[in-house]
Amino acid sequence: MLSRRIYQFFIIYFIGITILFLIKYVLNLSDYVIPSPLEIWQTGQNVFVRYLFNVMDTLSIAILGHMLSICLATVVGIIGRLTIWVGSFIRVAAYNIQAYPIVAVAPIIFILLGDGLSSRLLITAMICYFPLLLSFIGILSEPVQEIEHFYEATLRMNWRLQVKIRAFENISKITTVIVGSGTLAIVGTIVSEFIAANAGIGHSIRIALYQSDLAKILIALFLIGICTSLYLVCLEWLGLEVQKRLQST
Amino acid sequence: MSKNMLLECKDISFKYPGSNTEVFKDMGYRISGPGFHALFGPSGVGKTTLAKMMTGDLKNFGGEISKTDIGRVLYTYNLERIPGWTTVREHLAATTPESHQHKIDDLVAAFGMQPYITSRFSKLSLGQQNRTNLARYLLQEFDLLIMDESLANVDEVTKENIILKMKTAFSDRCFLYISHNVAEVAKFCKQILVLRGRHKTPQTLSLLGQDYSNGKDLDKKELEQTMLEIVNAF
Repeated sequence: MLSRRIYQFFIIYFIGITILFLIKYVLNLSDYVIPSPLEIWQTGQNVFVRYLFNVMDTLSIAILGHMLSICLATVVGIIGRLTIWVGSFIRVAAYNIQAYPIVAVAPIIFILLGDGLSSRLLITAMICYFPLLLSFIGILSEPVQEIEHFYEATLRMNWRLQVKIRAFENISKITTVIVGSGTLAIVGTIVSEFIAANAGIGHSIRIALYQSDLAKILIALFLIGICTSLYLVCLEWLGLEVQKRLQST
Repeated sequence: MSKNMLLECKDISFKYPGSNTEVFKDMGYRISGPGFHALFGPSGVGKTTLAKMMTGDLKNFGGEISKTDIGRVLYTYNLERIPGWTTVREHLAATTPESHQHKIDDLVAAFGMQPYITSRFSKLSLGQQNRTNLARYLLQEFDLLIMDESLANVDEVTKENIILKMKTAFSDRCFLYISHNVAEVAKFCKQILVLRGRHKTPQTLSLLGQDYSNGKDLDKKELEQTMLEIVNAF
């Protein structure tokens, strides 16, 4: 699983780099626009450790925001599955709000909360929260009639059992959604850092952009890709373990 | 349980929302006394719809369904499953009321469930799944159990053993057996309601079955006669 993801990333990354060099040499662009391989290598040696810590910083915020949004989506999804007005209100609100680009709201968050940790965390959580919520609401409000009928007929059904049945029946769907939203969490953190934060790899990319230093950006992208792959592999492994445990207990 | 149990459907009329076709029009039917009663008819004629009216799951219909000495009505069908996180034994233990726990072993043996009692539901064959599902309903409190194809995919010998066991162990309960099998309906049920389809008059016919049970002789000629009557009633 790990090697597959890393291979995929390396293939995509090096195809991208090759295209850049092709453009550079075909169009005879200067090193200022697209740096030479040697310059990229030297920049890598200079910034690798600093950027690695920056990526770790970003990744920790992404994981925290991701967990936060999973918890929030679970709670709201449980309420949203209800057939009473609260449930339908939450469902409609979720569908409408998710259509609004969170990045457009991000400046307001930075103005109100400043450029520190809380803003990055909030934007990260918001970016991966809505896709999670919509999936969770969909899964938790869809009855598994052939299992639930018995509990309803014998008056044993309660909300915990209902959620357990629906989550168990859709565990592979839930795992896929969580892994998918992991990428969104990392994207959300980097975007928020890029917009206004004062730390993280997104912040470093913004500085590199101001310096027009493509070599630094390429090094940052390399580290982001490796760390994202590792995080997604961890999530996939966790999902498989949960499925295995549920089926063996 | 009372021998006076009665479920009476009077002038039942029903159309599915958004449809102009009437599934039932002024239909009447009586189920009286404990034992096996059958609901028989071609697919799509309204057997499940009628069953859901009896359980109260379907409400927007015309007419009246009245019950005397019938408290709890349960409905079970052949596609039901038990949750995937539990084995058959654990599920039966967890869902059977305290007062009926002592019946579990007897029923497990009679239904031939012993070989797979520690298995998970998904590992069972369709027939085993249906037996398991029926067994858990029989362990509940009920007066009338509506069995919608509940013994589908069960082999004939096991099916007969199960029905005969049910007739002795639950002789004071009422069962409404929905099936497409003419022979088993004619053989085991005492009263058979044949739903004939919406364009036929009368829409239903009530016939007497052989009500075969342990210790009772079965007259094959009469059984054949009943089967013919059912087939001709279509």
